[in-house]
Amino acid sequence: MNYVKTPGEAHKTLTERMHYLASGTKYDSCNQSAVCHAFAPDGRCIQLYKTLLTNYCSGECTYCPNRCARDTPRVSLSPDEIVKIVWSFYRRNAVEGLFLSSGVIGDAENTSEKQLEVARKLRAQGFQGYIHMRLMPGTPKYLLEEIADVANKFGVNAETINSIDYSEVCPNFDYNKDVLQRLKWTKELIIEKRKEAGYGGHVIGSNDTQFIVGAIVEPDRDIIQTVGKFMDKYDLRRPYFMSFDPVPETPLEHNDPSPQWREVRLYQISYLLKDYGLKAKDLDEIYTDTGFLKDQDPKVLLAQCNPEMFPIDINNASLQELLLVPGIGPVSASRIIQARPFNCEQDLARMGVSITRARPYIKIKGRYQTNLSVFMEVCS
Amino acid sequence: MFLIIGFRTNVEGVLLACLKLRQLPDAHLVYAKDLEELRRKIDFAGVKRDLEHVGFEPVAIAHLAEKAFGKHWYHHVNHSCRKEPDLIHYIDLVLRHAKCEPSELVRNLSSSESVTSLYSGKTQLQRKCYRYMREVRLSYHRLCMFARPSFVRGILTAEIKPEHRVEDMFCRWLAKKNPDLPVAVVHGDKAWIGNGNFIGLDRFMVVTSSFLGDLTTVKKSDDVEDLWDVYYDSQMIDSRRNKKQAKKFQPWSASSASGMSMKDRYKVERGISPCKLGDFFEM
Repeated sequence: MNYVKTPGEAHKTLTERMHYLASGTKYDSCNQSAVCHAFAPDGRCIQLYKTLLTNYCSGECTYCPNRCARDTPRVSLSPDEIVKIVWSFYRRNAVEGLFLSSGVIGDAENTSEKQLEVARKLRAQGFQGYIHMRLMPGTPKYLLEEIADVANKFGVNAETINSIDYSEVCPNFDYNKDVLQRLKWTKELIIEKRKEAGYGGHVIGSNDTQFIVGAIVEPDRDIIQTVGKFMDKYDLRRPYFMSFDPVPETPLEHNDPSPQWREVRLYQISYLLKDYGLKAKDLDEIYTDTGFLKDQDPKVLLAQCNPEMFPIDINNASLQELLLVPGIGPVSASRIIQARPFNCEQDLARMGVSITRARPYIKIKGRYQTNLSVFMEVCS
Repeated sequence: MFLIIGFRTNVEGVLLACLKLRQLPDAHLVYAKDLEELRRKIDFAGVKRDLEHVGFEPVAIAHLAEKAFGKHWYHHVNHSCRKEPDLIHYIDLVLRHAKCEPSELVRNLSSSESVTSLYSGKTQLQRKCYRYMREVRLSYHRLCMFARPSFVRGILTAEIKPEHRVEDMFCRWLAKKNPDLPVAVVHGDKAWIGNGNFIGLDRFMVVTSSFLGDLTTVKKSDDVEDLWDVYYDSQMIDSRRNKKQAKKFQPWSASSASGMSMKDRYKVERGISPCKLGDFFEM
């Protein structure tokens, strides 16, 4: 089934349509830093052209600016037009890839076919850049397999943490069938494609998904537990968090926007799970009684909740112990282990450690910063 | 025996000098681009000592690296998610640094017992070389991110002013990214050509920049730039901007790589101007 063009659309120029569709993706820009970006295998940050194929949508997601019931200009870009824009940005080195999402045109199958057409056209023309496809809930398995041949990364948004919340936010789709099942298939396909590609083949990114934060009352503890579960079950590597921002003329238009710091704190915790070897249950102490995060660095909170573990002796601590110290990240922890022993803070600072943050939690050659409780003990 | 080790400033030369210095730790080090320069340097110094020159004949680099650091020399040192370059790339990157003193690099390599210690920064010299390697890599990465080539007489041309000697690296990267087009990277009076076979040249070569004609006459602004502005502006929600993060992604120091990236950085600093005709009517 093809979408039907509205009479107004015929009068919109390519630039105008491009503006509408790129704007349609701005609500899920992670961290609102620059344009959509990803990281290349060599560690470089790369910019992507992020667009919707169309903002026509048959879905009724309660938070979405493109929901079908909303009165908003509807436009589309044809696969050829998207291919043309991508090439022009790519040649000028403004982007190194495409992030393609879409409204649901009739059903998931039809939409994914159109997305696949864009990727296929680009690859057929020799495009070697990065392609990330955000697929529709319910995309059939055969299409996922075909998409895996041309895209570097692809996935379905989970949006919420369980099926009850999901049916409230996205009433047209089924959480277990349309989302979780697809996450499972994506994981299997990634494993399969990585084996096929081996070294020198096109890079296959890991499983990813996105959560909306603050659209409904979901405690941060539950979100993090779900992320942890997805990491174990679906090899999720990097979750994305989208702060809820009320969109006019949607059922949630009168809800409060989610504060930006919440999204940032959730990202910080996701890095603790991804790169620091922590599990969701290790973080139980840092939430408020109602299960929400405070606007403080979660690693500092974790250290404050476990004072008996500190100060850690820099010259003897294991990698896992070093990773618990605020101000020491995975890179500096591994450099510390290679360069030990240390005699002073200056040497440690040269390893990339943030000394101001780490000082209360470390011990170098028996010397450490005192604190009020130690002082009181000595006085008594 | 009191000896001078004369070595060529390339990866082979550095590795051979490192091996020689391990045998003769008291030897003096002199480096040069070629034998001619080496002879000039020695004559100028007027020293009468035994000179052993290394690196001026082609040798297998992998074999040298194995001899210097054992058979696991190529194992990448990974600091968590950050993949460090292997030994050969490490040497290559350090040599490209504007302030690199090749003799220091040789001393660093000869005093390092294992490959991993090169990345640990245990001694001052190791830290210095590691920092040089990171700075060169960053400079290259930033060029890949912020340089915006445009078509000049059918050649995808980028004018750059890198801090370190990374022009050829960037040219090779650009050529790999656009395998169906001839590309050129211009810095000062030199131009590096990639995929030159499309214009009847060698696949990769260095020419004078005048070969590409007068670049100043080329129109800098074009439709793609305007389209990019439309896209860039469409991505911002002012109330949700993370300015700190945005500045990190578009650092001031790298924004001069091109007019387009300078404009993007300006928007990070000052926001997007709402002074358009449409906004005037909407207000």
